[in-house]
Amino acid sequence: MEVLHSEIPSGVGSKGKIRLGPESERKLLLKGARWAVEEGYGDISDLERIESGGCIEGANPDLISQKAYERGRAQQGTLGSGNHFLEIQYVDEIYDEKSANALGLFEGQVTVMIHTGSRGFGHQVCTDFLEVMERAVKKYNIELPDKELACAPFNSSEAQDYLAAMRAAANYAWANRQCIMHWTREAFLRVFMAAPKELGMSLIYDVAHNIAKIEEHVVHGKKMKLIVHRKGATRAFPPGHLELPDIYKHIGQPVLIPGDMGRASVVLIGTEKAMSETFGSTCHGAGRVMSRHQAIRQAKGRSIYREMEDKGIIVRSAGRETLAEEMSEAYKDIANVVDVVHNAGISKKVARLRPMGVVKG
Amino acid sequence: MTIEGLKRIDENRIEIPKDYKAGMKTNGIIFVDSALEKALEAGSVAQVANVATLPGIVGSSLAMPDIHTGYGFAIGGVAAFDLKEGIISPGGVGYDIN
Repeated sequence: MEVLHSEIPSGVGSKGKIRLGPESERKLLLKGARWAVEEGYGDISDLERIESGGCIEGANPDLISQKAYERGRAQQGTLGSGNHFLEIQYVDEIYDEKSANALGLFEGQVTVMIHTGSRGFGHQVCTDFLEVMERAVKKYNIELPDKELACAPFNSSEAQDYLAAMRAAANYAWANRQCIMHWTREAFLRVFMAAPKELGMSLIYDVAHNIAKIEEHVVHGKKMKLIVHRKGATRAFPPGHLELPDIYKHIGQPVLIPGDMGRASVVLIGTEKAMSETFGSTCHGAGRVMSRHQAIRQAKGRSIYREMEDKGIIVRSAGRETLAEEMSEAYKDIANVVDVVHNAGISKKVARLRPMGVVKG
Repeated sequence: MTIEGLKRIDENRIEIPKDYKAGMKTNGIIFVDSALEKALEAGSVAQVANVATLPGIVGSSLAMPDIHTGYGFAIGGVAAFDLKEGIISPGGVGYDIN
């Protein structure tokens, strides 16, 4: 845990060890995890196990503001803060033997889960384009019940510009996780003196949960191209879907649901029912029940660090406040959330992962 | 807390009927069982209904059981729009892109 905590930059506004020049910055935004692999972070075989191959086409670096570049430049390869984390976990329950086998998961096996995104870069892209959209709402006379729904007609230049900038941020996030995964493997190599291949540290899957994508879906028996918005929702494509890599075609797309740091995370797979009922989507996490402020108030006078240690979970975190915000009681129980999507048939439980060590920002 | 006007479809889903709010072009569906329904915030239910008013929405305005209130669109939300008649919205993706 010490090595992971020192190797992987975390915390609010944390700065990474990657220094990007303007040329490599553009490449990163165009190529995502593919850029990272070309730079030596990880293995080419990782890419097929990432949604969209870790690189969504149609990103345009020219549509990114100076401010977003400035925020993103030093943060590539950093975990960040809030609900982002890196966890060392173990498989404590298998629900679906066949799918678990295909994913290489078995009881007692150690796993690493990385939850982070596009950091300040994506945040700034969103901020910039909310302004653009507020103007677009007036320009195109769109009536909204809430101004926070600011949007633009899909075929407008405003909408296309946002899509291209959002894709650049999505690629930034894929590159970010790829770099962090690489350093995680290096940390294990240093501690255990064994190569990632010997330790079986292959990527299971990397999936987004805050993204808008053009996808083909069947609506009332007719194939249609749609712009699917998933905000805190995970793609969950069924067995046989064209977007799945060959190794997973027979079982369906792996879905990773990070829970709170004290309870568990769950691996699921996508289903046909998700395709017909939710545009191939399922849940993305436990979901907060307390606001960050409420959680900090409730944690007053307690040592969340000690409470976690009593449960056998080692935590390394930059901030006391982050730990309070992220304590288990601040979230719904992941088991209840996952049972609903499983019972509704929009994804299927494969394995439960229990945390042993947590790096928090 | 129970929120008025919602209809249970089955054990795992509730519906926000199309007449729940003026301007809704489609219904809303939230995937929750009766226990998680109690944890629903009025604000996030209103957000699922608001998304149903947006131009070119296809199918229902959907939300997953980990739903909570977000910027404009609820976190845990899924919404699909037609490429000709529909829109794209940064609030439907959020600040933490990808």
